[in-house]
Amino acid sequence: MGKTLKEWIFTTDHKRVGVLYLIGSLAAFGVAGVMALLMRWELTTIGPTLTENPSTYNVWLYAHGAVMILGFQIPALTGFFANYCIPLMIGAKDVAFPRLNAFSVWLFYVGIILAILTFFIPDPPDVMWTAYPPYSTITSGNTAFYTFTVLILGFASILGGVNFLTTVAYMRAPGMTWNKLNIFVWCTLAAFVLQLIFVPVLGTAVTLISFDKYLGTSFFDPAKGGDVLIYQNLFWFYSHPAVYVIFLPFIGVVYEIVATFARNRVFNYKMVVYGGIFGIVGLSGVVWVHHLYVTGMADWIRIGQMVTTLLISVPVGFTVIGLVGTLYKGAISFETPMLYALGVIFLFLIGGLTGIPLALTSLTLHLSDTYYVVGHFHYVMAVAGTFAIFGGVYYWFPKITGRMYSETLGKLGFWITFAGTNIVFWIMMDIGVKGMPRRYYDYAHFPQFENAHQWMTFGAALIGVGFALAVINWIVGAARGAKAADNPWGSQSLEWTTQTPPPPGNWKEVPAIREEWDPYAYARP
Amino acid sequence: MHRILVAAFLAAAAQATWAENAIKDPAAGWDRLWFEVLVDITVLGVAFALVTAWFILRYRRRNPNEVGRAEKLTAAAAVGWTVIPMFIFMADDFFLAANGWQLWNAYRQVPADRLEIKLESGMYSWDYTYPNGVQTQNVLKVPAGKPVLLRMTSRDTIHSHFIPDFRVKEDSMPGRVTYLWFYPQKPGEHIVTCAEYCGIMHSYMVGKVVVVPEAEFTAWYTQEEKKLAETGAQKKGV
Amino acid sequence: MAHDTSAQAHAEHAPEWEVSVWPFVISFGILFALPVAFAFKFVYEMPFAAILALGVGTPMIVAGIAGWVKEGMGSHHGEGLAFPAMGWFILAEAMIFVSMFAAYWFNRLTADAWPPAGSVELPRLLPLVMTFVLVASSFTIHHAEALLHKGERAGFTRWLIVTMALGSVFLGMSAYEWNHLFHLNFTPGTNVFSTAFFSITGLHGSHVIVGLGIFIAVLLPALKGRINTPFVRTASLYWHFVDIIWFFVVSQVYYW
Repeated sequence: MGKTLKEWIFTTDHKRVGVLYLIGSLAAFGVAGVMALLMRWELTTIGPTLTENPSTYNVWLYAHGAVMILGFQIPALTGFFANYCIPLMIGAKDVAFPRLNAFSVWLFYVGIILAILTFFIPDPPDVMWTAYPPYSTITSGNTAFYTFTVLILGFASILGGVNFLTTVAYMRAPGMTWNKLNIFVWCTLAAFVLQLIFVPVLGTAVTLISFDKYLGTSFFDPAKGGDVLIYQNLFWFYSHPAVYVIFLPFIGVVYEIVATFARNRVFNYKMVVYGGIFGIVGLSGVVWVHHLYVTGMADWIRIGQMVTTLLISVPVGFTVIGLVGTLYKGAISFETPMLYALGVIFLFLIGGLTGIPLALTSLTLHLSDTYYVVGHFHYVMAVAGTFAIFGGVYYWFPKITGRMYSETLGKLGFWITFAGTNIVFWIMMDIGVKGMPRRYYDYAHFPQFENAHQWMTFGAALIGVGFALAVINWIVGAARGAKAADNPWGSQSLEWTTQTPPPPGNWKEVPAIREEWDPYAYARP
Repeated sequence: MHRILVAAFLAAAAQATWAENAIKDPAAGWDRLWFEVLVDITVLGVAFALVTAWFILRYRRRNPNEVGRAEKLTAAAAVGWTVIPMFIFMADDFFLAANGWQLWNAYRQVPADRLEIKLESGMYSWDYTYPNGVQTQNVLKVPAGKPVLLRMTSRDTIHSHFIPDFRVKEDSMPGRVTYLWFYPQKPGEHIVTCAEYCGIMHSYMVGKVVVVPEAEFTAWYTQEEKKLAETGAQKKGV
Repeated sequence: MAHDTSAQAHAEHAPEWEVSVWPFVISFGILFALPVAFAFKFVYEMPFAAILALGVGTPMIVAGIAGWVKEGMGSHHGEGLAFPAMGWFILAEAMIFVSMFAAYWFNRLTADAWPPAGSVELPRLLPLVMTFVLVASSFTIHHAEALLHKGERAGFTRWLIVTMALGSVFLGMSAYEWNHLFHLNFTPGTNVFSTAFFSITGLHGSHVIVGLGIFIAVLLPALKGRINTPFVRTASLYWHFVDIIWFFVVSQVYYW
């Protein structure tokens, strides 16, 4: 037992590092999810419901946002899935730098430990995940912990990016050409390029906040010639691309699931990769101003970025067309992973299209900072991403654990969550358009929304139950599910060709890739 | 393509009406554009959803060994499936951008005949100063039928002056002056609320815009001015 | 756990799971040495606890790096890949400087008057000398590498030490200048210019320190006769990067 534990904690094997990422990010998801439920409970009635103290609510809100994004979605997608799948998909024995990989995962644990310490330290951070100054520099909350959480998780993901870009560039199996890579590999590479370029910008921004607050500098202090808007520009220069850091890998996971369960080739592969994925990377750095439409930014940059923001619909449209097109003439079956993947298509459709009004600088003057925005980004990124993560975990579950989960419980969990999601976020967008502002502990001057808030709390409870069922399903399945075959779904992709679960080194011999092989070649001509 | 032409035409037509010097109420324009965009995205969304749903129903796996039958696209088809959607999306994008920009101009072109008020926001109140020096807190009294311009700044954190009924908000922040305007046409009360997280009591930072008939406003305004002069004189006397 | 039992079942004919304790040790060292120490000192004003945290964290980091380097010397993983990987890492590093400069330019170009009140005349000669020293160090490390390529290990070690000496001289001059400016009451909190000046030169200085740290990790094994050539190339690439960044610092902060 001691040896096993040691082999897990000090592991440098990409699969085990990946599983460590999964465990950590699911723990973070649990904590941040409980925060969401507490907030929904608080908002059930006008006035204090669960806590008398608005500060407590603000800390929940801070923790929910920061932990969900930095501690759950990004690590689950670029940590767990990338680690587990990429070396297997490209036919490598491990990543280029296994120790660096272990370093990334433990830095990630340090990051979420810091984030979770929020609930145990005096004066916890209450700056929201955006941490705009001047509030973040004058609050009595511990902004330093926010800064360090971002820095440490950011450093971990930069190291991960360096590692995986090198791995895919130099360690592909013989014969694995770029055009034979799984869509997921492409998506994750693109996400890592974005991380390398943009994470340092966020790191700088949050560092400058702590400089201003604790070391007396004056980057954001107008009294000494600083400017509060610098922060918002730097912050969104990272944080809009961060949406694609989440979007790209999750849509990649969905592609893998859809291709496998439709047993079909990916529709117009080159359009998806060179148009969709490359296009998103290209545009992601020039759209951040749409987060600053109500700050009085100059018109020239506003119109430019309104157009670029709208043009994002082109590459994103490519990825959706590719996804829907993959269903065409397929042989579709509907196991739990596929349900989640199809759920993502619908959620993402709603979320993506409701983003279009927010691209328009004029419509945003009313919609900005309302529940409409919250509903929109939960649809497009938060729930769509989480559905993809859950679907992906179900999909690779047999490979990881060597056992099967319960299909009935899986489907039940999916439908409960799907219903709850649409109740919460549809209503949220609706009352947002009617004027409900976000980040409110109390909505005493909007009594007309009390009923809507109660429905949302009900929906949130459903989401909680649904996700809890999924996690229970995994735990029970991992402990005593039926033994899984090496390739239970009949997938063509390379990761299913090794034994289940994969041994250290993945293959006895690295597979040679034949000319006609393709991860999506199902129809034999 | 022809949507772009239509948009260009609409823009030109709008310029023509602008020349007549009528005050264009951005709030009404907002409602119109919102409806238009809603129709646009609903059409797109329903089209995609129907196609997806049809594929899901039509291509169910009928026996366990069945595999997909999609053929590899020819080069021409691959290019066509890239270029045609691209042009459709881009046409829609430019159409929306043109309309959005036109409404934006309405938001930025403040009528010359207006009531100009200074706003300083702070944790957690809205402090208004009228041209004659009268100050109010959290209650902005304005006459019906006259555009109101707020020049805003903040003494501590970032706040956002949001009047849902007039479809407008803008951040106020230390070290910068921002502005917004709205066009109250009928007497009534409208809520003002803070839309940027500004501190612990953010959700209680509330005020209201009270629109009154012009005569009533003038009476109140001159009376307040008189009171102000008296207190000022008293202070000087002491 | 299912995974383990089946892994053990294959234990005879399957390769072992590879392990390394050092990444774990460094990570938790960082937890104590950075966030915990910083928060004790600046947030909760408990300097003694901060020193304690530093005392726990720093040895963990140093021991971790030492152990890691020792392991890495004999490893075949990532053979020759460190160099391109460093290229990606430098991209990320460069973005830190870009954002720092962006903040500086934003403030400077929107300022009413420049230099802002409270600024002092910066020394003119010293930065030139510093530039000379740093550029020289880039040449010396290049020369050291060339010697290594020819197989002259002793010469390599000598020139590596010269490079490190030049780097340390550079840091010393930087420290002297900071001290001088502090005495003129030009501190990070004086105005936006001092803020940018100390942040940018400090950021660059911290990169010089990291570069020197990497060189120490090259030097100590080299003194015992063990030299990992790809690692040397990678370390020197980083040093060239730090050197090039200095040109931006010196042109934007001192002579503009």
